[in-house]
Parts: sequence; C-alpha cells; structure tokens
Amino acid sequence: MINFNRRFFLRIFFFSSVWFILTGVDTTSWMVGVPAVLIASGLSLMLAPPSQYQISLAGVFRFIPFFLRQSLHGGIDVMRRALSFRQLLDPGLVSYTTFLPEGSARILFANTISLLPGTLSAELHGNSVTIHTLDRGLPIWANIQGLEYHIAALMRISPEKMNNS
Amino acid sequence: MVPVKKNMDILYHSGTLLILLGLPFFLSGTVGLIRFPDIYTRLHALTKADNVGLGFVVSGLALQSGSWAVTAKLLLIWLLVLIASSASCHLIARSAMQKNIQPWTR
Repeated sequence: MINFNRRFFLRIFFFSSVWFILTGVDTTSWMVGVPAVLIASGLSLMLAPPSQYQISLAGVFRFIPFFLRQSLHGGIDVMRRALSFRQLLDPGLVSYTTFLPEGSARILFANTISLLPGTLSAELHGNSVTIHTLDRGLPIWANIQGLEYHIAALMRISPEKMNNS
Repeated sequence: MVPVKKNMDILYHSGTLLILLGLPFFLSGTVGLIRFPDIYTRLHALTKADNVGLGFVVSGLALQSGSWAVTAKLLLIWLLVLIASSASCHLIARSAMQKNIQPWTR
C-alpha cells in the first residue's frame, strides 16, 4: 500500500509539472489545475495500473539519443524515397515476436517502431507485432532488436524475464 | 552589453537555420502523401517526416525564445505530438489491416 501511495504521488507530481509547464507562474490557473491534476492522476492509475517495472534514469539517457538518431534517419529515409525520381519502394509485411511484457513496455515498443526508419507497427496481438516496412531490403531485424533492448533497459526488465517469456 | 547581444544573435540565427532545416521534411512528408501508392506507405511519409520536421522547428523556436519556460513548453508540445501521431498512425494501420486492405507490393 505504501508503494501504491508513492506511485500516486509520483503521478500527481508528473501531471503537476505538465500543468506548470503549460501555464507558467500564473497562480490562478491552479483553480482549474488542481482538480485537473487529481483527475488525471486517478484516471491514469485506473487505465495504466502501476507495473512491477521501474524506469531507469540511465536507461532514459541512453534511450533519448538513440530515439533522436533513429527518427532523424527515418525522416531522411522517407524524404529520399518521396523526392526521388525513381521508385524506391519495396514494401511488405513482417511479423515480430517480442519478449517485452504486456503493458507499457509493449505499447512503447509498438509506438516507437513507427518512428524507426522504414517500419510501422500495423497490428499488436499478444506478443506478436505485425510490421509494415517501406523496403524489405532494410535491416529491419537489427533495428527492431536494438529498440527492444533499449526499452528493456529503460524499464529495468531483467534478462531472466526475457528468457522466460 | 555588446557580447550579450552578440550571443543572442548567434542563438537567433542558429534558430532560424534549424527552422529552415525542418521545412524540407514537412515538404517531403506531403510529397510522400501524394506520391506513395497505398495507405500504409502514406502513413510512413506523414508520421516520420513530419515528426522530424516539427522537431527541427521546435528546437529552432526554442533557441530563438531565449527562455527556459518557453523551451520546456515547446518540447512538451513536440512530445505530445509524437505520442499522438504514432498512436493514431498505429490505429489507422490496424483498422486498415482489419478491413483486409492489402499492402501495395512491387
């Protein structure tokens, strides 16, 4: 229960920071802000119950540059294919089975696949993700495995857990 | 007084440069939307190119603003757009899959 309270206060802190960034130092805005933050924290606990995984700060700092580099590659890749005179597309569907546990880890995984170069998550069924790719010649497997390990490090998902599932 | 102003100028012009760098991404996102053959490939064009374009524009504006509060607000906006666009991209692709729309192949 103590753990649960701590999670609740963490979420209140998180949503308060979001409100503070959006509204600045205007104190009267908190008339709306306080109820909004409380409702958002309650709803978020209902919709996304606290998981057993804790976010690792070192993982976050490794994930951000990885994510920025990959999305830049993705953008340049699309630009090249959109503006080229020749047809550079060779699309197809691939299926990938992830070891990431159900919940926020898997959802973050599915969402960031769409920002990697040339891949887009089209369907998520249990631990299997259907991926649409712009070019079957791209190193899709290497990219997706890299993303998977970054997310595992981010959520402190241990290697034993990976092998079990 | 003078060095401070010079410093601001450098920030301002690097901001302009970043914004200009972002524009071709928006352009190619739209060109891709028109030129690509099916719904899936068009989703690629929109989500990836526009997110990078917005990233450049947001960082350019953040440099020009010269204020941490505005920078934080801009970054938050970018983050929210990233989440919204990747989630809606996934939902559109999923509903296309469920309607049995076959991807275009070469």
